[in-house]
Amino acid sequence: MSKVMSKAGTRLPLIDGVEKVTGAAQFTADLPARDALVGRILRSPVAHGEIVRLGASKALALEGVRAVVTGADCAHTYGILPIAMNEYPLARDKVRYRGEPVAAVAAIDAATAERALALIELEIREFPAYFTADAALADDAALIHDDKPGNLERHVHDSFGDVAAGFAEADLVSEETFLCAEVTHAMMEPHAALADYDREHDRLTLHTVSQVPYYVHLMLARCLEMEASRIRVIKPFVGGGFGARTETLNFELIVALLARRANGKVMMTLSREETFLTHRGRPQTDVRLKLGMTRDGRLTAADCEVTQRGGAYAGYGIVTILYAGALLHGLYDIPATHYEGRRVYANLPPCGAMRGHGTVDMRHAFECLLDRMARELNLDPFAVRRRNLLTAPMRTLNDLMVNSYGLDECLERVEQASGWVKRKGKLPPGRGLGLACSHYVSGAAKAVHRTGEPHAVVTLKLDFDAGVTAITVALAVAEVLGIDVGRVRVVANDSAVTPKDNGAYSSRVTFMVGNAAIEAAKNLREILIEAAAGKLDAPAAEIDCIGETFRVDGGAQSELSFAEVTAAALVDTGTITTKGTFTCPPEAQGGKHRGGAVGSTMGFSYAAQVVEVSVDEDLGTIRVEKVWAAHDCGFAINPLAVEGQVQGSVWMGMGQALSEETRFADGLPVHASMLDYGVPTIAESPDIHVDIVESIDPLGPFGAKEAGEGALSGFPPAMVNAVADAIGLDVNVLPVTPDRLVEALTQKRRADKRQAAKAAKVAVS
Amino acid sequence: MNAPLPDFSLARPQSADEAVAQRLAAPAARYLAGGTDLVVNMRRGLVDADLLIDLSGIDELATLSANESGLTIGAGVTLAALAADPALKTYPAIVQAANAVAGPGHRAAATLGGNLCLDTRCLYYNQSEWWRRSNDYCLKYKGDVCHVAPTGDKCRAAFSGDLAPALLVHDAEIEIAGPDGRRRLPLTELYRDDGAAYLALTPEELLVAVHLPAGSRHSAYEKVRLRGAIDFPLAGVAVAVTDDDPTPRLKVAVTGTNSRPFLIEGLDDLDAGQLGEAELVLIDKAVQKQVSPVRTTMVAGHYRRLAAARLARRLAAGLASA
Repeated sequence: MSKVMSKAGTRLPLIDGVEKVTGAAQFTADLPARDALVGRILRSPVAHGEIVRLGASKALALEGVRAVVTGADCAHTYGILPIAMNEYPLARDKVRYRGEPVAAVAAIDAATAERALALIELEIREFPAYFTADAALADDAALIHDDKPGNLERHVHDSFGDVAAGFAEADLVSEETFLCAEVTHAMMEPHAALADYDREHDRLTLHTVSQVPYYVHLMLARCLEMEASRIRVIKPFVGGGFGARTETLNFELIVALLARRANGKVMMTLSREETFLTHRGRPQTDVRLKLGMTRDGRLTAADCEVTQRGGAYAGYGIVTILYAGALLHGLYDIPATHYEGRRVYANLPPCGAMRGHGTVDMRHAFECLLDRMARELNLDPFAVRRRNLLTAPMRTLNDLMVNSYGLDECLERVEQASGWVKRKGKLPPGRGLGLACSHYVSGAAKAVHRTGEPHAVVTLKLDFDAGVTAITVALAVAEVLGIDVGRVRVVANDSAVTPKDNGAYSSRVTFMVGNAAIEAAKNLREILIEAAAGKLDAPAAEIDCIGETFRVDGGAQSELSFAEVTAAALVDTGTITTKGTFTCPPEAQGGKHRGGAVGSTMGFSYAAQVVEVSVDEDLGTIRVEKVWAAHDCGFAINPLAVEGQVQGSVWMGMGQALSEETRFADGLPVHASMLDYGVPTIAESPDIHVDIVESIDPLGPFGAKEAGEGALSGFPPAMVNAVADAIGLDVNVLPVTPDRLVEALTQKRRADKRQAAKAAKVAVS
Repeated sequence: MNAPLPDFSLARPQSADEAVAQRLAAPAARYLAGGTDLVVNMRRGLVDADLLIDLSGIDELATLSANESGLTIGAGVTLAALAADPALKTYPAIVQAANAVAGPGHRAAATLGGNLCLDTRCLYYNQSEWWRRSNDYCLKYKGDVCHVAPTGDKCRAAFSGDLAPALLVHDAEIEIAGPDGRRRLPLTELYRDDGAAYLALTPEELLVAVHLPAGSRHSAYEKVRLRGAIDFPLAGVAVAVTDDDPTPRLKVAVTGTNSRPFLIEGLDDLDAGQLGEAELVLIDKAVQKQVSPVRTTMVAGHYRRLAAARLARRLAAGLASA
């Protein structure tokens, strides 16, 4: 009898879920480090200034101190974009934000390391510091980077179609400005890294919390001037990242510098405050948006201006500001767009990639304004969105490829599930429903590092134990091979063992690594079928493997188990390895215009969600009663995992909508703890109903696309639209904290009063 | 800034008198109850203590007893135990306040006494050593300036315990053990309107118990905060209706807005049985006038003032109609 097999499409718990919830999983800080030194970082107390003196001799002389490193120890910048690496692991000459690392020590214990930090003599000549984009952009502002006039990192201008004609054709043109606070990832696991250097062999091993060990590997080689072959990067269990850990982070380089200087092992665990300071979150963003619409709800043009306060260093900034413009496209049919994006430096911790990279705040503005225009034209929010759907396959105005499109079905599902038609407009006072749509890429089709290599490589190993070792996407491998997923052992974490991979971000893994895994599994399957054919004395074409059993087509009399076929396949050859690769074709890599690669992808996911809220006007509090989210992930390889991802996205969007934001007092973070940074608690977490829509992407693995980001950006506008429905108030700031809601209500009441007074005056005269 | 917990000795006295004696002998000691606030502050370098006097071994502090004159609640009773105790059923605001503190994990450890003596809070104070040093410290600890009110000479850190207002509207008294024996005083006298010296106790004095008079009172507690759990109150309000005959009176107390929790004055003439719109406006105005929230939290003081007033008005209206 064959076993019940794990097929793609089966609801399965995550393969590492049990370890994570039982506490068995070893995270970086859990690694045995008995003989490790303790690494600690000295951080700048000043937001902007020149380092006049940095004296480490007293610290170095302290008993128990094994190494001190400063900016003098690394003259190489690092960063994610080859064209914008302007950050040193430890500041040299200048500091640009409060909390920037300036020196580090390795000592026998934490107390000694702390004492050593206090002995480092640091003198900084202060410059004026800028904490808002406006202040940094002022004509007389000092430069944060000498080569960036006006403190402007990147100014993007993009125009597609005839924008003026579009607005001329519109029956309604509306314009509004939205202010979205900076948010950060707040993953559960604080940053940590363990570096081990062996001078005898000039080898460095780094265990770190990275989402992309490959990038860390590249930056270690660059900053430490080591051959990449001498470096090994290992990723233990990672307690979340959400984009924070896609770039190489300063502590990963600093701990390696310390380990090399000490010729030993150094463990560096960052405090929660330091983890917040390391940041790389979503920038504070101002969006001015103008939309044109015909009387029947058809969009005619969009004009969008986005300003992002990027923090002190480039990081992903250029990509973030390009994303906001690129993803104006790909969701609706808009005949003409104009986009102005400004990425501005400021004396604050650097921003970076965060779940829904670049698109969230722009989408928020878009979906809010769309709803308000629908209201003005007396159109239903669903109707106005349906009026502007795309038809796949197509290419957008900015040359992005859309091969599958499930937004119409997503709308259908949430309209039904939420009871929209029956309930909208008929809820008790203070209660409302709001809708928003969103989309996201399944990985960037053009890699950050253009090496000419495939976008993803997966190797499989089959050995005497008849166990298949894969690097990821276990279910896809199991499906192709017709074996139980338990037979697939996933190793995804060690540069000495696993093939190079561009990492777990930008929602690329399912699509790219998934396709590579399928190819690798097909190659392995071919070898096994061949071996089975030999044993069964039948043509390979007639052999099938179902449920770990190989048999000749239709015949049940002679069958072989997976172990038997493995044994046969290993004769003469021994261990079998196969490989699969995946490369995004050139036509997927975006337009030829400057920055046109950003936003390009093999497939967009689509999502629609309805949020129901109740609002307490007295206290300004919003309660999210329920969320209905539908997400088109192409095909759900593991529906349980998709549901979890969609719920996570919605929930993270809720944090940004309700309570999360970074705040600084003269550049010092006042949000840098889990008490002060308002991640929602279970008390305000609503029931989230998830509908999976499967549009079957022609190029996706089994038709799959991304599932982990697309639904995030729909939440904030759906909630704000629901607040408008509940109490007739349009809010243009995020997060909608109680004080902001009360303030907005007060202003509205004042404006309404003025309006009424004016109307009365007119009536009298 | 990733500082380890500083070294300290731990004493485990068996009686309140022993604890006071230990405290007298060690000027840099601190009493330790649930530790949910003190230990966090120690990690942040806000506490210079070489000795912690752990109160968990003192039976008297862990006891909750009832007799005809009312309830005596040991200062070491946990908030979870307090909220669950049937004896508190006739003091609803106290149960609501206990359940509104932080999260279940905190409430299982945190104590009534700890919450009443909770250190005042401010965004310039509850930060790491690196943070405060980078900002030249502050008036409350190691510095000369109050960053919230730089022209003033008083610390404006906000008292943020949830239990105090609920106990105030139930006329609680507290029992203090000190070098000269025991004394009993109204809870309101425990506090001073100074964020840096908010308790009217000598360092060695120990809060032993809270006494609540017998009798039933309608009461309620509510707080505003950013999230439905974990957060300290941006403003917290307790309201009770007394059983004075023939005219029930209204008691309103607030927390989170000033350096001390306090009873709102000027409501003595209100008939809690006859609360109309005019009376509610009066309550609203009295609260707005008497609270003085400043920039100690990320949420604006103006909002916290309004919220306190609206909570008071709403709770009063709710109790009046009940």
